[in-house]
Amino acid sequence: MKPGRVIGTVTLSHAAQQFRGARWILVSPMGADELTKKNLGMSQASTPVVYDRLGAGVGDEVLYVEGAEATQPFDHPIPLDAITVALLDTYNYSVPEQQ
Amino acid sequence: MILARIDGYATASIAHPSLKGQKIVLCTGVDENGVDCGMPFAAVDPIGAGQHSKVFITTDGSWTQNTVHDKTSPIRNQVIGLID
Repeated sequence: MKPGRVIGTVTLSHAAQQFRGARWILVSPMGADELTKKNLGMSQASTPVVYDRLGAGVGDEVLYVEGAEATQPFDHPIPLDAITVALLDTYNYSVPEQQ
Repeated sequence: MILARIDGYATASIAHPSLKGQKIVLCTGVDENGVDCGMPFAAVDPIGAGQHSKVFITTDGSWTQNTVHDKTSPIRNQVIGLID
């Protein structure tokens, strides 16, 4: 699971049949600076398109899973790489000062 | 398997059902010298590791499906050990 902030949505005019009714969001992965709110913008990491059925909106912080496990909630084969698993209510994150 | 340090916690009321009742921790990967590496990531923590403790994490989704008792769970990362 990786933390990320929703920065947009994607709509498709044509898609594989398994994706009928699917909702797609663009997620900017959150690094240490974004989680500690040092950087209120986006990280430098590339932004994956993530399948969403939790109803995440732009600006929400989510956890998403990448990899084969993303297809696990489906009972049919589906060509999926990433899925949201949680909409974050609260979180705290701090790195120790002395390392 | 990843070496990591627990650097925070997260709560989520809207989530995949398999996350219900699970503690979610935010972790920073560390290398063999204890230096931070990579992007932070989240994991479920059935052990109850404390803030800034060093832990051992598995990314095996099928094992995590066993521990959350849900074969449809997409969750991968799980804390499986505390490092002395």
